Amino acid sequence: MKQVTIISGKGGTGKTTLASSFIKLAAKQIAVDCDVDAANLYILLNPSRKKTEKFIGGAKAEVTGTCIKCGKCEELCRFEAISDSQDNIKIDKLKCESCGVCEYVCPTNAIKLKPEEQGEFYVSDTEICPFVHARLDPGAENSGLLVTRVRNIAEDLAYANNKDLIIIDGAPGIGCSVIASLNGVDYTIIVTEPTLSGISDFKKIFEVTKFFNIKSFVCINKFDINLKNTGDIEKFCSENNVEVLGKIPYDEKVPENLSYKKIIIDDQSSKAGGEIIKIWDKLKSYLYS
Amino acid sequence: MIISVASGKGGTGKTTVAVALAKSISYCQFIDYDVEAPNADLFLKPDIKHINNITIKQPYFLTGLGKSFKACSDFCHYNAVAAIDNKVIFFSELCHGCGGCILVGPEGSVRERDIKIGEIRKGFCPPGINFLMGDLQPGSMRTTAIQNELEKNIDHDNHVIIDCPPGNSCSMVMAVRSSDFCILVTEPTPFGLNDLIISIDVLKNLKIPFGVIVNRFGIGNDEVFKYCRSNNIKILLKIPNDIEIAKYYSQGLSLIDFDSLWKNKFVCIIDEIEKEVSVK
Repeated sequence: MKQVTIISGKGGTGKTTLASSFIKLAAKQIAVDCDVDAANLYILLNPSRKKTEKFIGGAKAEVTGTCIKCGKCEELCRFEAISDSQDNIKIDKLKCESCGVCEYVCPTNAIKLKPEEQGEFYVSDTEICPFVHARLDPGAENSGLLVTRVRNIAEDLAYANNKDLIIIDGAPGIGCSVIASLNGVDYTIIVTEPTLSGISDFKKIFEVTKFFNIKSFVCINKFDINLKNTGDIEKFCSENNVEVLGKIPYDEKVPENLSYKKIIIDDQSSKAGGEIIKIWDKLKSYLYS
Repeated sequence: MIISVASGKGGTGKTTVAVALAKSISYCQFIDYDVEAPNADLFLKPDIKHINNITIKQPYFLTGLGKSFKACSDFCHYNAVAAIDNKVIFFSELCHGCGGCILVGPEGSVRERDIKIGEIRKGFCPPGINFLMGDLQPGSMRTTAIQNELEKNIDHDNHVIIDCPPGNSCSMVMAVRSSDFCILVTEPTPFGLNDLIISIDVLKNLKIPFGVIVNRFGIGNDEVFKYCRSNNIKILLKIPNDIEIAKYYSQGLSLIDFDSLWKNKFVCIIDEIEKEVSVK
């Protein structure tokens, strides 16, 4: 079984457009959305949920007993999550990293780490293939944990159903949920665009794939809005031995199809869709070699 | 007054809007909170004067003394320490640097060293923008630790513009929570609307007032407008879908460089926000 994750560094470069197309073009596949706090793939796949489970996330520190205000927890918390307040200590849940040091040092056992429900994950059917996705509670810890959970379910599902490919739509950025979506995959597809922002973020995410030793391919989306920058990306890729699988033209048909919740490759008049099909053919030669 | 510019969906134009706001008022502090993929510097082109390395402390284990480190491995909530007999395998990328292993481990046998997780950069853009950004090191997952350093440097006596990371999770909350008002940038597509609704949920929970800017107006459909109308959400501005704007953007040029008429529109938006905030 192979796993491939679509990432970009910069948001809005076309990850979900590519992921949905690959999902449509593949056979014996499982679709996974690892962008858990702004999940969009479901909009195109129109899933019917078969199974819903609660996601219990990282445990945050909470004062549950009698605080004698000794100050030990505040002194030892490396994340500056604890501050003094009138008759108790105050815990900044956003800064709390669930390390458990405060719980350990508290002489009166007044602090406990309490796991919280932070979202849900789903196993769904779609017209194309099984689909594993999730919803993180608004504002919750963007836990790599939820991404890992989603991926584990997808792997089990793939083995149980004799599937040979997991296609993962990743999140923007380079942080914990992105790293969790890359862990142990066979390939990543980096979708970039020929803008200075796109290039800058592409280089950062490329560093991450090197750091974790994952083979990556590149797709340049909207390549024709700046041919000079596209040339710079191609040069960077050839210097770093990364194959550019394809260059997708700027195409108003992409948002148009999106507004009808249609996958772009189903529109045969779309130039972008045609190029994505060619990209898939190249990718296939690696996936099924 | 602190204004944050956020968006659930990535690539809708947060940085475009944040940069245009800063360039319109000319005197402010600008903070790029998108530490995983910071881009505002490409448009504001600040003269960077200070670079501070941000480090965390990570342990190393003196295993030659025959001590057992099982207590460290049992304690570590991140599974960063595996102790087998008297040996230790340490997974640096999982370690948050909490210092727990020093507290629970054999005395004197767990030491610490500084590990770089990123940088804070400070600079200036004439005539009066104090620029501040964080930059997370590739391979590190310590996004909010870098943002925490930014938070300490907010200049509360100045106008502050905050460029947020995409998404609706903790790193977005870190970026918006200090603000008096949040501008949500979206695009009129089902993706844009879906992620806008989640962002609105976050801001309502935080009790931060907000308004919406619709970018790439003309593509997609009118569902975003319908949603805003029926929920009484103010649309502050529409930016048309224009390939010429996209070309300017691709070269690191701002909306104001594209057409200086935008400057007045953003000044008006800030006036409007200021009135709303001062009423509250």
